[in-house]
Amino acid sequence: MFYREAGQFKTTYAADQQVFPILQDRIGVAVILFIAIAVVPFVANDFFMSAIAIPFLILALATIGLNVLTGYAGQLSLGTGGFMGVGAYACYKLATIFPDVPIVAHILLSGIFAAAAGVVFGLPSLRIKGLYLAVTTLAAQFFFEWCFIRIPWLYNYNASGAIEVPGLTLLGVTVTGPAAGSIPRYYVVLAIVILLTVLVKNLLRGRIGRQWMMIRDMDIAAELMGVRPLYAKLSAFAVSSYLCGVAGAMFVFFYLGAAEPSAFSITLSFQVLFMAILGGLGSLVGCFFGAAFIWILPILLRAGPPMIGIPIAAETATHVTSMIIGALIVAFLILEPHGLARLWQIGKEKLRVWPFPYA
Amino acid sequence: MNRAVDPRDLAMDGDGLAKGEVLLEVKNVSLRFGGVKAITDISFDIRKGEIRAIIGPNGAGKTSMLNVINGFYTPQEGTITFRGEERKKIAPYQAAASGIARTFQNVALFKGMTTLDNIMAGRTLAMHRNFLWQLLYFGPALNEEIANRRKVEEIIDFLEIQHIRKVPVGRLPYGLQKRVELGRALAAQPSLLLLDEPMAGMNLEEKEDMSRFILDVNSQFGTTIALIEHDMGVVMDISDRVVVLDYGRKIGDGTPDEVKANQDVIDAYLGVSHQDEGEG
Repeated sequence: MFYREAGQFKTTYAADQQVFPILQDRIGVAVILFIAIAVVPFVANDFFMSAIAIPFLILALATIGLNVLTGYAGQLSLGTGGFMGVGAYACYKLATIFPDVPIVAHILLSGIFAAAAGVVFGLPSLRIKGLYLAVTTLAAQFFFEWCFIRIPWLYNYNASGAIEVPGLTLLGVTVTGPAAGSIPRYYVVLAIVILLTVLVKNLLRGRIGRQWMMIRDMDIAAELMGVRPLYAKLSAFAVSSYLCGVAGAMFVFFYLGAAEPSAFSITLSFQVLFMAILGGLGSLVGCFFGAAFIWILPILLRAGPPMIGIPIAAETATHVTSMIIGALIVAFLILEPHGLARLWQIGKEKLRVWPFPYA
Repeated sequence: MNRAVDPRDLAMDGDGLAKGEVLLEVKNVSLRFGGVKAITDISFDIRKGEIRAIIGPNGAGKTSMLNVINGFYTPQEGTITFRGEERKKIAPYQAAASGIARTFQNVALFKGMTTLDNIMAGRTLAMHRNFLWQLLYFGPALNEEIANRRKVEEIIDFLEIQHIRKVPVGRLPYGLQKRVELGRALAAQPSLLLLDEPMAGMNLEEKEDMSRFILDVNSQFGTTIALIEHDMGVVMDISDRVVVLDYGRKIGDGTPDEVKANQDVIDAYLGVSHQDEGEG
């Protein structure tokens, strides 16, 4: 009833090509942004900010990174954790070598190192497709994990073998390290995630994003339209790895605080891949859905029973949560293989024609 | 948006050839896959502004010929001269850049994209704004996008597919998919348009529509067309000249009337008309 585009006429191509052509969508996005910027930090407690909101945003960005590569450009990758690690270690080195440069600059620069790594490990994609490519990206994952353990220079010869985030300030506020409060960290993460999401959306709806989708849907025809597979695939790897690298850097600097190489293991790659698949490949909003589902649901499941007065041992809760999440993933993929984003889209279509079943 | 398409908007003028001059010349081309000879010593030409049909039985090497022309295959022998330039080995994207567009026998659309995006995809080579502008989607990048959108909308008007502009092509019926694919090829404003069985699997009405579009493209935009088609009625009606292949060899070449009278062609492909013997 309220979600109608009737009467919203577009008279220019620019108006027709905007990201949210429907007024109600624009209002919805504005409300969500308002809540994220002006409500959440003042309402939520420290646990929610540190353990839910911040990692959710960071993982959503990593999922966007993977989705650019797998969902939009059609190149399957299992190296996400490795590329995130490259970003994290690059950021750590930059922050310890140049401690006076603002941390946000380091975060955004560290993605470039990950992008370079992505391009190198993306080279096989020119000859290999599908699952076989996934295996070669798996090589990237193991190679980087090996580097993080075996090259002491990367962790500044720390006795523990881990990287520990120094306390850095931004505009006079401590944003990293143990002394940083959750609200400044949240704002930095939110700003970077919003900025990069907007930029990626712009890429995706323009020439470059179209080239990626052309390669994904029909590479032979794409070549015939003048797409050079080399540029299209490697640019997808670069952009994807850049986003993963930035997410990895933020993961350590704004969430973990310190990281061992195992933080960027294959488990993380799979976690992000599940987020991308469950959220919906080829959808940006799906990345946020997927990250929320995989990251937040287990926390709610663990925290839920004690809240309503059911005593449950922590270990049991963890096991039960894994079982429930696993079952839900299977159920969702059977019910809607195109992920939560597709469910969202169907919901919106139904709402448009409500109370009728179809238009 | 019912204004008429201005032919000059979509015409490809870059080749500087007058109507009737040789646009593409295939000379003594042979193509082998291991021991299999797909094409043996074939020569023919395509002249600016004509509709050139390539016909022949299944496996005659017609699609292989198109693949050679747009660079998917490199022939072992022979030369191809396009717009006066002889080329030996060429990548498909280079062929596209030189002004050759094509459609495929089995629809090769980008299934996950909308009709609009598919036809926009055809304009890939017309868009040059770099990565940084693309990131901003503002200023020159937006202007370029809109200028190309305008061209694409002209093609959408021309092909009468306004109603499916925002529908993912995977959901469209086959006949419309074929039409979108034609639109995508037209969007590149090619000087040579290759159509691989544009009417396969269509009903009579759809065939008539498609024939009309092909003729209109040819007359309004001046686009040279080479098409492969099995419907002899259509081929003989719309094409200016026909080349006939059989087992990778050329067995006939000429106007539709000449080809119809050619005994080799009748034996290999056309057969004898049963109309002469009366309706059964």
